Amino acid sequence: MPVPWEALIPFGLVTAMFGVTGTAFNIARRVSNDGKPPRYGLDEWDEMMMERDQRITGSLRGQKSDPTPPENFATNSTWYTKRSI
Amino acid sequence: MATWTKNDASVAPYVDPTPLPPSIPSVEEVGTTSAPLKSAAFFIGAYCKDFNEDFMLCKAENRNPEHCLKEGRKVTRCATDIITKLRENCLAEFDKHWQCLENNNQQYYMCRKPERALNKCVFEKLGLVKAIPGSPQGQPQIHEKTSPIFGAMQK
Repeated sequence: MPVPWEALIPFGLVTAMFGVTGTAFNIARRVSNDGKPPRYGLDEWDEMMMERDQRITGSLRGQKSDPTPPENFATNSTWYTKRSI
Repeated sequence: MATWTKNDASVAPYVDPTPLPPSIPSVEEVGTTSAPLKSAAFFIGAYCKDFNEDFMLCKAENRNPEHCLKEGRKVTRCATDIITKLRENCLAEFDKHWQCLENNNQQYYMCRKPERALNKCVFEKLGLVKAIPGSPQGQPQIHEKTSPIFGAMQK
C-alpha cells in the first residue's frame, strides 16, 4: 500500500508555522538587543550596570573595553534631573 | 543615598552646579563597560588587592564620601592601569572572552574555553593568577575543573 503522504501535510504545515514564528520572534529579540541573545534573570546590580553601559556607549547592550570614558561620563547621570513627583 | 533607583527620563540637561574644588585632583573614571569588567574582575582583584582593601577598610570607618576620596582615587587609577595592561598584552584573548560572556548572559560557566586561554596569557605576560576567594581548600577551583557538573551542555 502506498505511503499516505496527504496525512503528513498538516505535520509539515504546523512545523513550518512554528518555525517561522519562532525564528521571527528570535530575530525581533536580537534586533532589540544589538544582535545578541537577550539578558535574563537580571537583578538590581545587572540593571545598574546596563544603565551605566548606556551612559558610556548609548545602548543598554553596548560594550567597550577601552578604559577611557567619553567626555560627559562624569556628569551625564540623570540622578539629579529625574522627575521626583 | 546609598540605594540605587532606576532612572526616569531626565527633565533637563544636567550641568554640575557644584563641581569639585580644584584642590582635589581629578581622576578619570573607568570607562569600561560591564562585560569587559566582569572578564577582568579577578585580575583587578589580584593586581589591586592592597588599594581595594584600604578603600574598604576606610569606608568601614566612616561612610561619608569625603572621608575616602584619596583611597577611591587610588582604586580608580589602579583599575584603569590593570585594564590598560591587559589590553596591551592580551587584547585578542580578552576581547574573545568578554564577547563570549556578552552572548551568554554574562555567566562565567558558559565561557570556560576562552577563559582558559585568557588566564594562560595573563599568567605568562603579567604573572596574575585568578583565585576565587572562599573556594574550598582541597579541591581544584571551579574554573580549573576538567569535568564540572554544570557546563554549557546539559548532561
